[in-house]
Amino acid sequence: MNKFSGVLAALLLGVAVTAVAQPKGTFRQAHEVGFGTASDMDPISRGRVFHVTEKVMSRLVRPGLDGKPAPDLAVSWSANANATEWTFKLREGVRFHNGKPFTAADAAYSLKRVQDPKLDSPARAAIGMVSRIDAVDPTTLKLTLSAPFADLPLILTDYRLMVIPEGSGDTIKSTGIGTGPFKVEKFDAQGTSVLVANTDYYDGAPGVARMEIIGIPDAQARFQALLGKQIDMMPGLTAQQKTLLDRMGGFTLQEIPTGNWRGIVLHTGMKPFDDVRVRRAVRLAVDRKAMLGLAAGGAGTVGCDTPVGPRDQYRSTRTCAQDIAAAKALLAQAGYPNGLDMEINVATLEAVWPAMAEAFQQQVAAAGIRVKIVTVPTDGYWSNVWMKRPVTMTRWNDRPADSALNEVYRSGMKWNESGFKDAKFDAMLDGARSELNFERRRARYVEAQDYLWENGGTIVGFHVNLLVGAASRVKNLDAVENFSIRWHKITVD
Amino acid sequence: MFKLIVRRLLLGLATVGLVSLIIFGAVEALPGDACTAILQQDAQGQRLANCRAELGLDRPAWSRYGQWVGGVLRGDLGVSTHGAQPIAGIVGARLQNSLLLGGCALALGLPLAFGLGIAAALQRDRWLDVTVSSGAIAAMTIPEFVSATVLILVFSAWLGWLPGIVTVSADAPWTRFFPEILLPAVVLAMVMTAHILRTVRSSMIEVLDGEFVRMATLKGVPHAPRVLRHVLPNALLPAINVVALTIAWLLGGVVVIETVFNYPGLGRLTVTAISERDLAVVQTVALIVSALYVAINLAADLLTLVANPRLRTAVTRAS
Repeated sequence: MNKFSGVLAALLLGVAVTAVAQPKGTFRQAHEVGFGTASDMDPISRGRVFHVTEKVMSRLVRPGLDGKPAPDLAVSWSANANATEWTFKLREGVRFHNGKPFTAADAAYSLKRVQDPKLDSPARAAIGMVSRIDAVDPTTLKLTLSAPFADLPLILTDYRLMVIPEGSGDTIKSTGIGTGPFKVEKFDAQGTSVLVANTDYYDGAPGVARMEIIGIPDAQARFQALLGKQIDMMPGLTAQQKTLLDRMGGFTLQEIPTGNWRGIVLHTGMKPFDDVRVRRAVRLAVDRKAMLGLAAGGAGTVGCDTPVGPRDQYRSTRTCAQDIAAAKALLAQAGYPNGLDMEINVATLEAVWPAMAEAFQQQVAAAGIRVKIVTVPTDGYWSNVWMKRPVTMTRWNDRPADSALNEVYRSGMKWNESGFKDAKFDAMLDGARSELNFERRRARYVEAQDYLWENGGTIVGFHVNLLVGAASRVKNLDAVENFSIRWHKITVD
Repeated sequence: MFKLIVRRLLLGLATVGLVSLIIFGAVEALPGDACTAILQQDAQGQRLANCRAELGLDRPAWSRYGQWVGGVLRGDLGVSTHGAQPIAGIVGARLQNSLLLGGCALALGLPLAFGLGIAAALQRDRWLDVTVSSGAIAAMTIPEFVSATVLILVFSAWLGWLPGIVTVSADAPWTRFFPEILLPAVVLAMVMTAHILRTVRSSMIEVLDGEFVRMATLKGVPHAPRVLRHVLPNALLPAINVVALTIAWLLGGVVVIETVFNYPGLGRLTVTAISERDLAVVQTVALIVSALYVAINLAADLLTLVANPRLRTAVTRAS
């Protein structure tokens, strides 16, 4: 009897273990179809559907749950003494979905492709400092930089730097072959794309057998699909939608601080904002905490006009409060004793902009700054208004600290929206990049952010918290920003 | 009769041509073009110039319009500005979906509209008429997206009987659209039923008051044959025009419903194409919709001529 029950127990355990290990169920997600008919699966193209590429492809380095670089296809890395040469040791035994083994040649091909001027990928600027890419042997990749850069692994966590098979550049947009936990079964950007589990994934078989990525352009329709249980997860909820889900029950909600920020740009090349005292005065007159409460229901983090995200390891912890008296004094010093008149250009492109502009108008009025709100059309905002008028609204997505400071504030950069040209600031950034010691590097980045607080022209209103709603049947969804989620860990009931 | 048809067809062609010119001008007049729509923040300097040269947007507007007209006359509708897919395929699939949705809405709405309208007119001012008329006014005045959202909330979120959003691809076979097509068809049917119902009801009431009906009553014709043979044929004539306009609206103009339900039809395609400044797609859709309106109106007029002998003699005499 004992032997029999022992065998039975072992048998049941075996069945249970295999049952648990098998991927099961379907997870459904919606995407915006932001690029309409031009959507494809090429990770570096403008029309990439990242909801698909992030699950079927892998990067060399992925963002860990704590924000620090974690191994993905590269298992370890090291740099030379002055951080101009980086060597990456790659994972062995990984195969692409078509059976081809992954080697350094594929990684080199993928990165070289990003740099190809003919392809003109928006991701080119991300690895602009890489001057040479060498596949030293099948498991070693060497990157040579044009200038010292201590944080290269963090840069490689960019969601666009996915590894594709060597030579697949022309077909990747429709095949989507990668090394990720899911394989493409059907791709239809405007309808439903179907992904199936890749049971040979190096980090273990995924928890779900199937993922459906459904194209729903309208935000309200996406929310209704979540309510009607036609999709299982929706990021980017508004505060009102969150309340509705709370009351309905059957959903889990996550509030995740992100590096996405919304702000007001004072162009430093246009009068009167070419005077640093005027810029400082306007920025001192703003009460960012109140603005966050009014525009986004408090779902965010405020700082002192630093573009660096709240969970970033380099963020300056400086705090600052509204100071009307100091603002008035600075304006008087700059030659505006009776206050300042300005026009702020707002579109409904971004949901929080109108509320932000109105909060701004009310707050700075106390310092004698009279703001007129000019509404401009959403269509053509980026080409006709942004970077062209003295005061405009802006929004930025999450980036590592170095990218956030360089792309927006270094002299002469394409998206330097405030026209900020300061050689001293550029030198600070260069100094930080070449500093290999973490503590000293952090101090330099903080110094650069504090410099922006004194001299910059951009008011960083707040960094937004991402509200994510998921059906209760979804388990093990990492509570982090989208590109750090480990999709293969999700299970559904 | 023949001369009438030919004249109407020529006028119709002129209308379609004029519409295409106006639509082209209107989309051109919007700020930005296809390149600023694709490139967004990158739409500056050399990159913008390259994009414009590649898409042919650096040529003057009249030249591009002329080229498009030439293409259409040859049967070549062109390619979509984004993604360079042939337009005939994209628009064809969407048109089929719109026809399917329109067809379902008509199948649900027409019998209901005529049935309720006739019943309401016959039971004038009694409880049936009052209920039906108030219901019709409510359905007409409440915006479609409000009724759509309420229906989704009730039937999808609370009861879970029907799916709320359409998740089927644009080129899926028509059978795949059920049951997701039911809620949008119901909302559309609600709106169109209200309009048609009120027209049917008022024209029925007018005819019921007519002298020849009174004559039939006096002659002793029983109620049912009187309604069927004398009242209905006359009362339903004005309804033909309303039904025609409704069909045309269903096929080309239900953008709001398509957006709310995520239905892959012609309306949503148009809105996407306009915001992408994809002129070729917008022009093709404008062509199809205006041709549909012209054709349906012509069919309605001809049907009225056929159904109403009184009009026929006047026309044949004039031509």
